[in-house]
Amino acid sequence: MKIVIIGGGIAGTYLANGIKKNIPDTDVQILSDEAYMPYDRIHLCRLVNDSEMIEDISLTLESSVKINLNQKVTKIDPKAKKVITQSSAFDYDKLIIATGSVPKTLFDTSGIKNAATFRSADDTQKIKEGIKGKEAVIVGAGPIALELLDTLNLMSTIQKITLLVRSRSLYDKTLSPQSINIIESTYLKSGKVRISYEDEIIDKTIHNDEITQIITKKLKIENPFLIFGIGIQPNIDFARDSLECNRGVLTNPKMQTSDTDIYAVGEAAEIKETGFIAGHVKECTLQAEVAIANILGIEERVFKQEISIDMLKVGEFDLVDVKAPAFCQKYEKILMTSDQDQRVDEYYICDDKLTRFVGINSNIDIGYLEKLMKEKEPIDASYLYQNRLHSERGRLICSCEHVYQKDLEEMVKENAISNFQELAAFTQAGRVCGRCKKMVEDVIEASQVLIDPNKPKKSATDIQREKELALVKKRIEKFNRLHPQNQLDSENLSSAMDAFEIGTKELNSWLAMVTATMQLHPEFASLIKEGVSMLNRIPIIWLELADCSGNSEAFIKSAHPAIEDLIFEYISLDYHELLMSAAGEQSESALEHTIRTQKGNYILIVEGAVPLGMEGKFLRIGTKGETGISLLRKCAKDAAMVISVGSCAFDGGVVAAAPNPTGAVGAAEALGQKDIINLPGCPVNPINIVGTLLSYLMFDELPSLDQYNRPLWAYEGRIHDNCERRGHYELGEFVKAWGDEGAKKGWCLFEMGCKGPYANANCPTMKFNLNTSWPVQAGHGCMGCVEKGFFDKLANERKIREEKL
Amino acid sequence: MKKIVIDPITRIEGHLRAEIEIDENNIVQEAYISGQLFRGIETILKNRDPRDAGLLAGRICGVCTNSHFRAAITAVEDAYALELPKNAQIIRDLISLALFLQDHVVHFYHLHLLDYVDVTDALEADPKQTSKLGHQFSERPYANSHAHYISVKEKLQKFVKAGKLGLFANGYWGHKAYKLSPEENLLLLSHYLEALKFQTNISQAIAIFGGKTPHPQTIVVGGITSVADMLNPQRLNDFIFIMKEAKAFIDRAYLPDMKLLVRGYKEEIKQGLGKGAGNFLSVGGYQFDKNHRLFEPGVIFGGDFTAIHPFDARQITENVERAWYDGDDICYTDLNPDGTLKTAGNRDKYSWIKAPRYAQKSMECGPLARILVSYYQGNELIKPFVDSFLKETDLTMEDLHTTIGRNAARAIETAYIAEYLFRFINTLVENIKYYDTATWKQYQFDTLPGESGGKAFLEVPRGVLSHFVEIKNQKIDKYQVIAPTTWNASPKDSSGQRGAYEEALIGLTLQDSQKPLEVLRVLHAFDPCIACAVHVIDAKGKEVGKFKIEQNCLL
Repeated sequence: MKIVIIGGGIAGTYLANGIKKNIPDTDVQILSDEAYMPYDRIHLCRLVNDSEMIEDISLTLESSVKINLNQKVTKIDPKAKKVITQSSAFDYDKLIIATGSVPKTLFDTSGIKNAATFRSADDTQKIKEGIKGKEAVIVGAGPIALELLDTLNLMSTIQKITLLVRSRSLYDKTLSPQSINIIESTYLKSGKVRISYEDEIIDKTIHNDEITQIITKKLKIENPFLIFGIGIQPNIDFARDSLECNRGVLTNPKMQTSDTDIYAVGEAAEIKETGFIAGHVKECTLQAEVAIANILGIEERVFKQEISIDMLKVGEFDLVDVKAPAFCQKYEKILMTSDQDQRVDEYYICDDKLTRFVGINSNIDIGYLEKLMKEKEPIDASYLYQNRLHSERGRLICSCEHVYQKDLEEMVKENAISNFQELAAFTQAGRVCGRCKKMVEDVIEASQVLIDPNKPKKSATDIQREKELALVKKRIEKFNRLHPQNQLDSENLSSAMDAFEIGTKELNSWLAMVTATMQLHPEFASLIKEGVSMLNRIPIIWLELADCSGNSEAFIKSAHPAIEDLIFEYISLDYHELLMSAAGEQSESALEHTIRTQKGNYILIVEGAVPLGMEGKFLRIGTKGETGISLLRKCAKDAAMVISVGSCAFDGGVVAAAPNPTGAVGAAEALGQKDIINLPGCPVNPINIVGTLLSYLMFDELPSLDQYNRPLWAYEGRIHDNCERRGHYELGEFVKAWGDEGAKKGWCLFEMGCKGPYANANCPTMKFNLNTSWPVQAGHGCMGCVEKGFFDKLANERKIREEKL
Repeated sequence: MKKIVIDPITRIEGHLRAEIEIDENNIVQEAYISGQLFRGIETILKNRDPRDAGLLAGRICGVCTNSHFRAAITAVEDAYALELPKNAQIIRDLISLALFLQDHVVHFYHLHLLDYVDVTDALEADPKQTSKLGHQFSERPYANSHAHYISVKEKLQKFVKAGKLGLFANGYWGHKAYKLSPEENLLLLSHYLEALKFQTNISQAIAIFGGKTPHPQTIVVGGITSVADMLNPQRLNDFIFIMKEAKAFIDRAYLPDMKLLVRGYKEEIKQGLGKGAGNFLSVGGYQFDKNHRLFEPGVIFGGDFTAIHPFDARQITENVERAWYDGDDICYTDLNPDGTLKTAGNRDKYSWIKAPRYAQKSMECGPLARILVSYYQGNELIKPFVDSFLKETDLTMEDLHTTIGRNAARAIETAYIAEYLFRFINTLVENIKYYDTATWKQYQFDTLPGESGGKAFLEVPRGVLSHFVEIKNQKIDKYQVIAPTTWNASPKDSSGQRGAYEEALIGLTLQDSQKPLEVLRVLHAFDPCIACAVHVIDAKGKEVGKFKIEQNCLL
């Protein structure tokens, strides 16, 4: 798919990266009318005062995105699916308009040397070059104008600045006089600035492409440098002929325009239903995400207006502006001010609900206010008052991510973050709208002294994993304090390994295999090794009930012979009739001993079904002739965990197949317990037993289980989906009779009643007997032996559909 | 008279109980062998599609895995008179024979050896002498260097240091019945370790054609499914290679070890310990070309080896007087309140295992029966294997009819199979070479007779396995199994005739009644498998609730 994006700003860049991230081989082109690679407009002030170069504020763009600079789009041809620029034409399958807006001016400034807008890198260049020795005149008092005012105010090359304000307000017409006073006073301190309220330009003199004089209602200014900061309008002239437009290009909530293949996002787009036009970076990126999801068919998404947070940070004051979508001009206000602290909290209330908050040097928790707005709770003024100073987290630094100064300091200190780059792994603070980037950088710099120089550096995922590893380690250490059940312990694990002729290479490959099987990060391998050396701390009782010993047999024939033999020797199997040397009374006393002395510590492994018919007397064990169910209850009562291995212990298996002559059930049902881990299979793959034991040892909790209490790591994948013969299924190549040509070629066994599509287990990846084979490889197909009631439903060589007929 | 109860008998498959009565001299006067689990697999098989019998019956046992799977399908094929393609027959035989090798080796080293070898004593061994010892039993003894035994001894020391013996902590170490020298113990234990590898490696060979083991999944009515593996030269080669390695271990370790054991326990053999009634049963099988098969069918009565009677399936009857059945019904009469078997009365029932009889006689089957019958039937292939073993160990055929003799017969049989298994592979390769790649006998299930009956008699590692199926309306109407352990571990019958286990225990002297090592030796020598053994004749799919514990069932 060929996607063309018009606009090389934040929205365009975000779109391109987002598309590439989702579907990397999509052909994505950006058409930008600027001469520069995408940069972050929000930091233009820093180009004006030369604190940064344009490269410093550039945006990261995925390298495979094609970008065409200096391409001013003049027209879209939706029928031909072409975008026409002044010099070229581009084909598209999908087009996204992200052209943002253009600044408003009172007259055309293009030919004039000392008049500029403040919107692009070129603008800053013009300002920088032309402003020296002139009186700066900023028209407008909105956030952009105020920010520029702050920048110019601090520049030594500028001696005089006039702010022409049409109204009586600064920042926003709704602001209270108290707030305006605070803002005003911070600007006036330098003595360079005058603010002329209720004023506007009424005349100007131009000589040699240069304004020599302007006359306002109240003032006459010689030799000015005029900068317009009076607002913006969507940059969509090229689209007016071809698409439905109002102020912006009209879209539905999916960000789709009147042409289904053309989308528009950000400041260029106007949502038809609501008339909403994005004004914040966060809204733009949100719209970009919606457009991506819909274009790539990932999911159907619609844009919903969210609470917006704006900040204006200039030298001496912070202004925070939190606005709910429901905000309208019909409001009442609660004002809390403190002259002493130069603090104002303005609560805009409509129908008992907070719709907007503007705070200057405020200490209130923004997160709380957002919650109030989101949940539309009626506000409690006394509560707001009581909490007006409660912010232990210091100053709000990033309004987008709600990161406060103290949070940031803590983060820097804990993780030894030395610069803004490194912070990315921990928080997006300073990166969402980017407005606070500088502040974030300042905090990082100031907090360097807090860092312990001996502390090694880590990434955020490192730290998360470290936490998990630490937990596991703690747990293993807990076992370390226990007395080993057999005398083989961690200190002589290595001699035991020697005895079994297990080399480091073999051990490592085994550890890697188990780690991968359990879907753990490779770093867990070393802990698994430790875990193995602790396995003999856990006493294990392996109870054979109504069984065929197939699972025990499988266990001793497990995949990696030497290592699992070792584990097998290593596990403290206190009771296992097939293998133990003691018999009769001696074996019974071993069992009693474990149950008595290891209360709550031992693991019970159950193999075989539990016959409940005839008072359980279809199975009797031991010199006293105890019934199977009674012995199971006795052993399960004080077990730390019960694991059912094989299909019989899972649900009765073959023993419970119709007509279930002995009333057999699985262990969980027999015990009436819901926390038993089931490892079905006929027999179970032994690696899944080892994995479950290790997982208990390491995590002290049940692994993630499915509805039948089967560990997801082993029983999540559908056999059909991971099958080596799946390709033949897709091609319609089926074995039609045993031993036919398809069978010789290894085609799909679905027609021969393979139950792979109905069974979930890791057989295709783990296989059996040293990865030698599995039933599908051997040409028979799966009989679903890990599923409930499989002997009555799946254990045959016919398709389910035919079976039902 | 004193009663000793051993339950569970460990290092076997299943739930087996032994109760023996000894006199004041610790001599066994009477023995009761009891299977303690009933599952009712035959009942479950009823009313199912005959083609599904294999997958289900295979689950009778996870140790004799494959044997029941194959027998069930063979019985169904017999009912439908389906003749197998040659290759399918060979692949089935290869899986079965590989199982023989695996089963016998695991039995000897891991389930049985420690009844004869004292692990702790091996630490006293001189490695150099051990190496010399090895040469007494084989021209090319397996891993027999002086240095090897030093390392094995070190390993054992490490095991001991590492608490490895903890696993066998409650073993009967130091028991007076242990007779081998430290060097002999060391040599055998070194092979105990090697055999651990052997059993996992050989299971790969089974998986090549079986898909997996335990519970292979490649046999279907009419043939086998692993045709792609059969046609893959690499897979065949892998199979052959594993078998060659297995054969090397068997020839150079297992068989010589058995000779060593015979020398060490010659006295017990000559005393005739473990001798039974002398009734042996073999159905023979494993034909690999027109004129040759591995085992002959035949029956021996009363230890008279010279008179081999032809095997006749109609001579088989089943007696349930002392088993928990009443005709076709379950009749569970419970245990005594103290948990012991009810054996006071001559007709008291005490086991889930029924008592099959051949010509009214209690029979023994297994490697010894096969060796005796085949040898005396004049099987030329087996003769040199038996003769050379007897010659080298200075034993007679009579001596094999003992507890240790049963193990010797098993070892001879293993070496014999390991030799001739390659003939089966040769035939398979020849077939494939001449474009016979058929692995399935084509049939239309709907056109097969709706009503029929079939049976299968197979020699499997532990002895004679028979499955009987009756089909009505294309469904299984009746199913019946008599497994090797059903014969060997059977209870007494109405005439009071003991089962083979019971008979072999009579007259045994225990050194220490608290540590009945001698009893374990006798029982383990049969390689018990109780899951296989318990089968009803024909329970009619009774509701669970119907089964009641009866004090006295009507006879």
